[in-house]
Amino acid sequence: MCDIIWCKDCDTVNYLDPYYFWNWEGKIKCAGCENVYYIYMIQGHMYKGPEKKAGEKPDILPVYADKPNDGYEQILPGTPGKTRPYNCLPRHIYLGKADMVKFSARGRPVRGWRPQPPSTGVAGSCGFTWDIQKLSPEVWQEYQEKIKKGEVSEW
Amino acid sequence: MKDQRVTRIEDLPGPKSQGELEEMKMPYEEYCRKVFSPGQEKTKPESLKGIRWLSTTMYIFTPHSVANLAELGAECIKVEMPRMGDPMRHTSPFNECYLYPLHDSRPMTGTGLGFTNANSNEYYITMDYHVPEMKEAFYRLVKLSDGLTECYRPGTFDRWKQSYRYLQELNPRFIYVWGGGFGYGPKVFGGSYDILGQAHAGLASVTGFHEDFGGHCTKHSNWCIDWYSGTQITVAILAALYWRRKTGLGTMIEFSQVQAATRCLGYTVPLYGRFGIVRQRWGNWDTQLCVHGIILCGKSDYPDEPNPQLKYEARYAVVSAFNDPDFKELCAIIGRNDLWDQYKTLQDRVRPQAQIAIYKALEEWAADKTRSQVVKTLTDAGLLAMPVMNDKEVYECEHFRQRGTIRWLDDPVFGDLLIQSGYSCGLMSKTPRRVNWLWRPVGADNVKIYHEMLGYPMSKIEEWYEKNLI
Repeated sequence: MCDIIWCKDCDTVNYLDPYYFWNWEGKIKCAGCENVYYIYMIQGHMYKGPEKKAGEKPDILPVYADKPNDGYEQILPGTPGKTRPYNCLPRHIYLGKADMVKFSARGRPVRGWRPQPPSTGVAGSCGFTWDIQKLSPEVWQEYQEKIKKGEVSEW
Repeated sequence: MKDQRVTRIEDLPGPKSQGELEEMKMPYEEYCRKVFSPGQEKTKPESLKGIRWLSTTMYIFTPHSVANLAELGAECIKVEMPRMGDPMRHTSPFNECYLYPLHDSRPMTGTGLGFTNANSNEYYITMDYHVPEMKEAFYRLVKLSDGLTECYRPGTFDRWKQSYRYLQELNPRFIYVWGGGFGYGPKVFGGSYDILGQAHAGLASVTGFHEDFGGHCTKHSNWCIDWYSGTQITVAILAALYWRRKTGLGTMIEFSQVQAATRCLGYTVPLYGRFGIVRQRWGNWDTQLCVHGIILCGKSDYPDEPNPQLKYEARYAVVSAFNDPDFKELCAIIGRNDLWDQYKTLQDRVRPQAQIAIYKALEEWAADKTRSQVVKTLTDAGLLAMPVMNDKEVYECEHFRQRGTIRWLDDPVFGDLLIQSGYSCGLMSKTPRRVNWLWRPVGADNVKIYHEMLGYPMSKIEEWYEKNLI
């Protein structure tokens, strides 16, 4: 739901905020390098651009960026000099850092940790059952310990 | 042909077998436990089995209309954008609580819990259906399906030659749903969110406290109009299916979310039409009944909990004592018989100044009490009172647990998850709703649908995938 500027020089995808850029004309600096791009958007559609404007002063920074061909390295909102300041920061737990929960409130395994295997089948398809014992043996082991300690309950 | 002069046991009302006889003797409570038996849903048939539905939807409102069908047994296929998936996956809550799916698109981002319950039991494929190469696959899916729900901007599917006008040519029995913000008309280009629906329909203007009490209009924190609209679409779909059974013809359903929100206004619209009165906000009180509202108690039920939601906020209680004897009793309990002398009739009590005085007295009485003490004191006296429960208390509540409203699901992909889902939508004895899985990774069923159902060779599927078409 947002438009992007994919900088081919540094292979960075710059994400634009659809609300802010819905009707917008100006220059945006790439979060990955010093490139500056001119865009003109009308009703959410890219009307002109992105055109490279080397050396010009940017009006604004992108809201978020990542490098999909480089292990999805992320440049989060509010990174100084890279992305736009994020003025509505709520509590620290809401800063986009994933919560690596491995066990639910009743102590059973959930799928809430990373990294996960990147691919499991053809065309993004995947098996129906996450076999935790086979695919995450260390979590399975931790689960067995929890059962022994009586930390797993029915409710 | 039955002989009308002969009485047959099977035509008579009442039990037909020993088992049914025993069932008739059961107390009602026990009978309900037996016929609904939460947890045994999967041993029973599914009412919508045999219906196949396509879902080209995003966020909550339109997906939920299809999830309702899927929980009732329809085979639903959700079509998402290649690699990215439904944006709702990456939206809420605050990118905080990720569940990492098993797929190779955006591997370091997960599916947020906000996606929960809106797409359960569905098959997940990806398709960039507006490109010409994918038209054939899309049309073939349409020919094999009973209907589709979409949520693109009005006319987008028409431009892509896949609106009702085109699809009914392919499949005259096809039921087509457009769901979105404003629909055709002056605001045709307006997109919508739940909050827009609540605002545009006048709903937000009647929620929250009156400005005299420093209040503002308030939107409901959760996307209640999204969930509500989704359910309303499902009602329309079921009616359309019945219509199709009678006529053999499909239909188009055009559902504006902001329009749906007007239905929640109750008497507000006719009130204006008849009397010219613009209904005002009245907060946690009631304009027609007093006492019938929520009061703040002084002490927390959980003074030692580190969680602020428990430590500070578990302090509200509903009190209802609006008929005269109940109000008299309430006044006696709080030691304010003068209020009873002053406001002996409901007419006296519902007036604004009276409500201000009465609720103020109630909160003064509750200032040194916890919510539990207030509720216990009032219910012991035979009055209606209920704590305003939070998530933790709902989770622990025996009422919801026994009825299976909230329960743990061992999701095949995502593991242990606590859900309410379709189990909060009413019980059905013969064909109950069920949740098999909450959601699947982006494109998880591409091979199942494209190869096994539509018969495309694997080489074609791989080619599409390489070109980012699926």
